[in-house]
This record gives sequence, C-alpha cells and structure tokens, in this order.
Amino acid sequence: MDFLISQNYVNYVCQCGLLKPLTNLYFCRHCLNLRCSFCCHHEVDSHFCRNCLENIPSSEAKLRKNKCNSCFDCPSCSFSVLSARATTIQVPMTVKEKQEGEESSTTTSEASSGKMVAKKMYYLACLACRYSSRDVGISDQASQNFCWPEQEYMHANRFNTILNYYQALVLHDKQVKQDEKRRKTTNKSKFQSMTDRTGLNVSAIRRQMGFDKTVSKPKNKPASILPSMTEEVEELSEDIFTKPINLKNITTIEQRFTQPANQPESVKHLYPQHKNLSIKRSIRCRHCEHNVIKPEYNPTSIKYRIQQFASSHVPEVRIIKCYPLMPNKSAFITLKLTNPTMNDMTITIMELPTDDEEVMMIDEMKKNFESLTVSSKSSLMRPSLIEDPRIVSCKPTAKLELPDSSFVINQRDDSAEFDDEIQTDKKDPKFVIWRKANKIAIELSITPNDLKVNDEVIVGFTMHYTYSTVPSTTAEKKDSQQRHALNARVYLNVGNIVDYSTK
Amino acid sequence: MSRNENKVKIMPKAIVCEDCIIQGDVTISSGCVVHPSAQIIAETGPIVIGENCIIEEYAKIHNRIQPESPDKPHILTIGPNNIFEVGSVIEASKIGEKNIFECKSFVSSDVEVSNGCVICAGCHLSGGQHLLENTVIFGKHCQQREALDRISGSHMLQLDFLRKILPNYHHLRKAKQ
Ligand SMILES: [Zn+2]
Ligand SMILES: [Zn+2]
Ligand SMILES: [Zn+2]
Ligand SMILES: [Zn+2]
Repeated sequence: MDFLISQNYVNYVCQCGLLKPLTNLYFCRHCLNLRCSFCCHHEVDSHFCRNCLENIPSSEAKLRKNKCNSCFDCPSCSFSVLSARATTIQVPMTVKEKQEGEESSTTTSEASSGKMVAKKMYYLACLACRYSSRDVGISDQASQNFCWPEQEYMHANRFNTILNYYQALVLHDKQVKQDEKRRKTTNKSKFQSMTDRTGLNVSAIRRQMGFDKTVSKPKNKPASILPSMTEEVEELSEDIFTKPINLKNITTIEQRFTQPANQPESVKHLYPQHKNLSIKRSIRCRHCEHNVIKPEYNPTSIKYRIQQFASSHVPEVRIIKCYPLMPNKSAFITLKLTNPTMNDMTITIMELPTDDEEVMMIDEMKKNFESLTVSSKSSLMRPSLIEDPRIVSCKPTAKLELPDSSFVINQRDDSAEFDDEIQTDKKDPKFVIWRKANKIAIELSITPNDLKVNDEVIVGFTMHYTYSTVPSTTAEKKDSQQRHALNARVYLNVGNIVDYSTK
Repeated sequence: MSRNENKVKIMPKAIVCEDCIIQGDVTISSGCVVHPSAQIIAETGPIVIGENCIIEEYAKIHNRIQPESPDKPHILTIGPNNIFEVGSVIEASKIGEKNIFECKSFVSSDVEVSNGCVICAGCHLSGGQHLLENTVIFGKHCQQREALDRISGSHMLQLDFLRKILPNYHHLRKAKQ
C-alpha cells in the first residue's frame, strides 16, 4: 500500500499552485478548497511524552526544556527507551531500616530471619544495545522514579550568563524603543498632555536636584559579558599520532549530537538522556481560520476531533495501466477513480486552464483575499501569512483526448465492499470499463508530444466534481445539504517514452 | 545420513526436541536445550556444545571450515552458557562461554568469539577477527561497545522453565552415550 501511495505519480494542484499527492493535502470544508501544509497554520496543541504518555502543559514543558522527567533515551544507540531493571542485593540491616521494615510487610518477613535484608535496587538498561547505567558508573537507585542523578554540564553556567545577558538586552531594547516612541509622540503633538507635562516636570526637578543619573539613563546597557576564550590551549600530547586508539571507547558523531550540551568524547560519559517530548499538532486553514486537523487532547488517543484529509473528500485518481508510450502516437491509459464521500459524485473531465486563464484565476483569488482581509479586520489573520498563489510549474507533455460525457461515481458504501460482482451499467458511456461500488475505471487515449526516448510523459486534466456538504450538526436539517461544483487539477506522470527502435 | 545420525551424542539431562536437524558428529552436553527446528550441522568437522546452552528455533550452527588436512578436521567447540536466539546463523571458528547471539544475527566462519559477548539482533559479523571479552555488537552499522557489566547474569530461570515446558509438547531425542 505504501508503495502505491508513496510514489507520486498522481499529483493534485493545491490552491497555492503547488503539486502534491492527494495524501499530503487537506480539504477545507469552509473554503471548499484543497490546502497543502504551506497553506495552513501549524499549531502546537499539547506536549506529551510518547513513552509514558504523560500530558505536560506547555508552560511546564518549557521549564523542563521539552524533555520528560521520567523517561530516558539510550545514549548509546539512541534507538530505544531505557527501561528500569530491578536487582535484589543483600544489605546489612540498619536500625533505621528495621523501623521501616516493621512498617512495610514485605521486608519484615525477611528481616526477622537474619541480619541481611534483600533490597530491590534499580538500574537503567537498553534492551537493544545492552547499555546500562552501571556502564557509566551511576550507582543503582532504590526507587525507579525521579531520582536518577542529573547530569551536570560543563558549560551550564556560561549558558546561563549568556541567556541572562540576552534577556536583559531584549528588555533594554524594548525600553529604548518605547522611550523613542514616547518622545516622537510628544514632539508631534503641539500640546503636551497632562501626564507628559508632569513627567517632564518631575524629571526636570530631579535633574535639578542631582538625581540625574538614575532618570536620564534608564537605558543603561546591561553589563556586557566577557567573550569566551581560553587563554591556554593545551599542547597535543606527543603520542597522539602514534598511540593506537580503541574505537570502542570513543563515541560516534551521532552519539555526540544526541547530547549537544555535552558532546562526550568517551563512552564513559554517555549518561542517560531525558526523552524529548512530542507534540500534538492542529492545522488551521490560513484563509478562513477553521481547523482542518484537530487531534484529541488526550495523548493516549490517536483519534481526531476534526479531520479533513483531502483523501476523504476529493475523488482519488489512480493509474491502473498504461500502454507503451511513443511520441506522436496515441496510447491508452486506464485510470481508476474512487469516490470517498457518502454522496454520489458526478465527474466531468475537462481541459486544464491555459496560462492566461491561470493568471486570471490567480488574480481573482488575490482579490478575494483582499476583500476577505478588509472585511475581517478583527481576526488574527495577517494577510502576509497567506501564500501568494503561483502558476503551476508542471507542464503536461502529452495531449489527452477528453471523454465526451460526464459520469457518476456511486457513493461509498462500506457493505458493498464485500460484493464481488462488477456491475456494468448500460447507460455508461463507452470509456467506462467497469464500475464496482464507489470505484470506476475509465480508459482514455493520450498522445505524447514530440518527445525523446526516456522523457517523462505528463498528462493533466481538470476534474470537475460535485461535492455535497454534510450538515455538521444534527440540528441542521438534511435538506440543508448543499451541492457544490468543485474543480481539482490533476497531473499524472504516466511513464517514460519507450525506445521502440530496439524492439 | 543415518550413519551420521549415529554420531550424535546427547548427554543425559539435555533436552533435544525430535524435530530439530542434527547432522554429523555433534556432541550436546548435559543441561542444553535444543528447540524444535533448530539446526546443528557438522559438515566438515565435529561440533561440541558445552553445558546449559539454549539453541532456539531456526537457529543454525554450522561447522563448514575446510580442514588443513583431511585427518585433522576443525572442531567447533562451543563453551557453556551460550544462547543462540531465533534465526541466528553461527559459523564461527570458536565460541567461548556466556555469549548471546540475538535474533537473526550472523557470525561468519573466520570469527573467533571469546566470552561474554553479545551479537545484537540482526548484526552481521564477518571477516577474520577475534572478539575480545564482553564485546557488544549493536545497531545498524554493527557498532562495537565494551560492556562493563553483564546484564543477564544468568539464564537459569529460562532454562528451568524450558526444561519443564518443552517435554509437555514435544517428543524428545533420547540421550545416547
Ligand atoms: Zn498550498
Ligand atoms: Zn515520559
Ligand atoms: Zn541502546
Ligand atoms: Zn478555509
């Protein structure tokens, strides 16, 4: 299945003019248009850990540096999650433990028998590469949660000072800008407002009194930090080129990159790494700001609250077969069209718009945006965020003989999947080969242009289809179902020109 | 083949399922567990398997090293406490003790495996080399690492379990001297 879909032989034109396979497109129910990922806002809905499925509020995620507190990635193979393993060790019982033992029933039974007590200790281990936290000298822990020693970073202090400096700098810049703004506004208006006047007075008084420094210099730049430099660079040891190295003790580039703060050189410093958090993402149409994708909040759920994948709204086109292609000779291609919706679809296959028509379409679209943005000023939408539509870069290299009539694809009916019969409707036009449930196969004739051997043959057509909006709420009556006539431009890569001279 | 079959020596207390393929001069020491459809093929020389080894389904131990002289065949000696997991193919020239060959791993005939090594799932090891003790081969690129600490100290629990369960569902080969 992946093979069939991931090869992008059939591409649809998004409204912005980009070519994408249907599986990478969304369908906005409100604009009734295809949307690619560039035409949508991507928003972080929630943070969660994909190992323990804990939901972490975004403010907390920021504090935790987008890492999970309780899960660790293997630093050695960075492929799997470390799991806590238990061992029992014999420890001599201390007085303190005796008291604890009396409280908890499990240890008392053993404790009473002798002076040695079995104690469960935990260490972290990777089941894929057999890394264990003991390898790097982390001692076993008595509890498996939250008490693993945190790794200390060499440059942590340096990073903190830099961070503080730049935060102060940002604050300072903001202040300067604000001051400038205030000054400008006061200059502009001939009449000073009350506050300004009093403000000026206060500063004037202060200046007179000698508090000058504190008031007139609020724009003190934060004390600049020293650039990092090492005075002494250690000499390379003499045996650096002669000493044989043991590759087992040296970390790989990948291993170093998984710990950017540390970048250990020796495997002895491969400490367990907190697992990075994952996000749930909602996707919003840039034009109408309605959600096209909204996942359920709960991290354990993989369902969506809103899912407007194009593949469940727009008829899907697939190539079944194509006869050998030769320049200027007509060949047949068989296409399969599938109706994914619960309503019958009438489909007409038409010519692609010419270049001039395309430019006109784009102009019209731009006008629409402008009217939209003017009318809805209050919305969050910024027109600059809307991608300017562009002309499709792909040009067909073959001529498609258009079918002379339109045809209907039946609605999707899940029970009809089990029917094996291929119904042939006598009313169907000649180019329809077979139809089965919500699928239909059509045969069209194409004539490649004057191409060379191994050139790609691309055909395109505009698919005109009827789409019925399903009432979103049950309160709406069924009569409110509206039928729309929509267009989708489809480009097919049907194959290469064959070398017929050798045959 | 029947002549070869006679050469198979199964020590007492070893559990060898009937459905496995054992050919040639093979000695299985006591305490070993050989699962059904495992293969032990002594093609060019005898194979001696030490005590308490587990040879899982579709694992294949194959001695096909051409001897230097026909009257002195190469003996593939396998030490005690090794685990050969499902689908592993082992043609090594010598194997020490307490090694683990994970699923679908492959060890070619010019490799000598010492003690406490782990060949992780899917890793292929070929080319003449001697694996030092406690070497772990892991990952897509067959990285090497030295394990300071052996994780699975013993597989005795697993052995005990198998010894209890396997006879209930499989015919066993009788121990022969
Ligand atoms: Zn787009
Ligand atoms: Zn977690
Ligand atoms: Zn690992
Ligand atoms: Zn929209």
